[in-house]
Amino acid sequence: MKSIKEVLEEKKSGLFFGNRVLLPFTCHILKLNIENDLITDFSPSCKGVHISENPDFMEIYFYDYKDIGEVITKYEAIKMIVVEKGKDVFNPKNYIKLALHPEENNQLRIEKLGENQIFIA
Amino acid sequence: MHLNRNYLLIIFVFTFLLFTSQNLFADSLNSLQDTTSQVQVEQDIEHETDLPSALSVLPFVILLGMIATGPLFYHHFWEKYYPVIAILLGLVTVFYYIFFLGDTHSLVHTAAEYLSFIALLSSLFVASGGILIRVDKKSTPWLNAGILLFGSVIANIIGTTGASMLLIRPFIKINKERIKPYHIIFFIFLVSNIGGALTPIGDPPLFLGFLRGVEFFWVIQHVWYIWLPTILVVTAVFIFIDSRNVSTVESKTKYTGKIEFKGIKNVFFLLIIVISVFIDPAVISWVPSLSPLPIGIREIIMFSMVIISYKQADEDILRANEFNFDPIREVAYLFVGIFATMIPALQLISHEANLLGEKLTPGIFYWATGILSAFLDNAPTYLNFLSAEMGKFGMNVNIPAEVLSFEQLHPIYLSAISVAAVFFGAMTYIGNGPNFMVKSISERSGIKMPSFFGYVVKYSLPILIPIFTLVWLVFYFQKG
Repeated sequence: MKSIKEVLEEKKSGLFFGNRVLLPFTCHILKLNIENDLITDFSPSCKGVHISENPDFMEIYFYDYKDIGEVITKYEAIKMIVVEKGKDVFNPKNYIKLALHPEENNQLRIEKLGENQIFIA
Repeated sequence: MHLNRNYLLIIFVFTFLLFTSQNLFADSLNSLQDTTSQVQVEQDIEHETDLPSALSVLPFVILLGMIATGPLFYHHFWEKYYPVIAILLGLVTVFYYIFFLGDTHSLVHTAAEYLSFIALLSSLFVASGGILIRVDKKSTPWLNAGILLFGSVIANIIGTTGASMLLIRPFIKINKERIKPYHIIFFIFLVSNIGGALTPIGDPPLFLGFLRGVEFFWVIQHVWYIWLPTILVVTAVFIFIDSRNVSTVESKTKYTGKIEFKGIKNVFFLLIIVISVFIDPAVISWVPSLSPLPIGIREIIMFSMVIISYKQADEDILRANEFNFDPIREVAYLFVGIFATMIPALQLISHEANLLGEKLTPGIFYWATGILSAFLDNAPTYLNFLSAEMGKFGMNVNIPAEVLSFEQLHPIYLSAISVAAVFFGAMTYIGNGPNFMVKSISERSGIKMPSFFGYVVKYSLPILIPIFTLVWLVFYFQKG
């Protein structure tokens, strides 16, 4: 399994199919933004989003959106604040801000949030 | 889905123009010597006698009711179907006017007004989306107040929409270490609403007034002495609250103090848009009229600016601003419905106000316009009450010459609805177009904003209502 750092360095992409996102790492998600939805509730009873963890990757299902490729337009992204598995979630220094950009052929470009893009923890 | 929605809007506009074009061209042949004023006025007066049925207001009421409740109570249904709902309700009124009243003049007049309105809003929105401001300074209450005041002033030059889009991200970024929802709410109060009360470019209701015949500089001459103390009092309340918000975590961030401005090309495009507001045959005599087309040179320039400023914008800036057309698309759809469905409401309100006469004071107009602007959109509300005020004095809002007489003879009435429509737009998220845009950008930036009722109960009722009551007592109580 790759760490987030390795995924970013190797510029590895994730995947998306309809409302399902596949990320090539596992992590603790603290906060997530898709369109106007700011999601902080990742409990099993949460109606908007479901996270499924596998040994080498993780899946996120967005129940309120049919097709992420249509919803997220050219200059937009899904934004997340995450912490590497095994790292201290209580230390803000470990927070990583990611942007997920849907691209052609179901590819999901993963990058660190740019300096100009704001996503407050 | 978005593509289909766009087709829907285009089909609606073309169907509408097709139905009305025959009559329109006949008019233009009959009045070759005088294409605009006198003949149009006579026709307006002639049709004024055929009052629409009270039931014809129903599509307007349904649409405004759904705009108020949709985003709150049936969010996903509304997000998916609002274009269809707005267009269908608009078509009900269009068909009623064509087939039952035989009145196509009101429809053409409204279509022209809609196109002018959407041309201004969309051009300001797109051009400002290609500008990026970075302020690398430490957040302080005085710096924040300075930004809010600056935003309030430039809202009158590039619109509350343009100013909000331009400044909200730098404002959030400056405050990222201690940001609270009240920062955003005061931004909505001042930059997205109250600030834009001085010119027709400032806020959509005033632009609609300008399109009807209110002189461009009338508002600043008659409103500045209400605008200035209101802005200062709201800013003082902000400074008081912000001074109490001291971050407990010591910041290690080093600030350069630099202010960076990117996208200068788009500033030039903004300038063209602002200048083009005056390129109208009614303002400059040598500007050619494109009558019987429902658009003029001004609208062509503005729509061209939408395309040019988007194509010319720096991709990195668009990405940093997370630019997308959704907010303006939403405004375009909702307002095509609002403009169409409000035609009978305008005529009936004007008629009723004429009957009520003396009972209606500037104070009543202030509160009625204000309360409705808070919960409905302030642009149609302003127009309804302008129609009502003019009806009280037996004047017709469809006749520019009478609008001009009205602003000169009864300035306090026009001032009351101008101030109320703009100021009270700040009362709720749905009061004015930019409010929801700012809320949306803030949430996308990770800020948890209060609910619709939280905003009203915690912020607008305790802060704005006492200030607006003072405005009423000082400027409108027992006057007129």
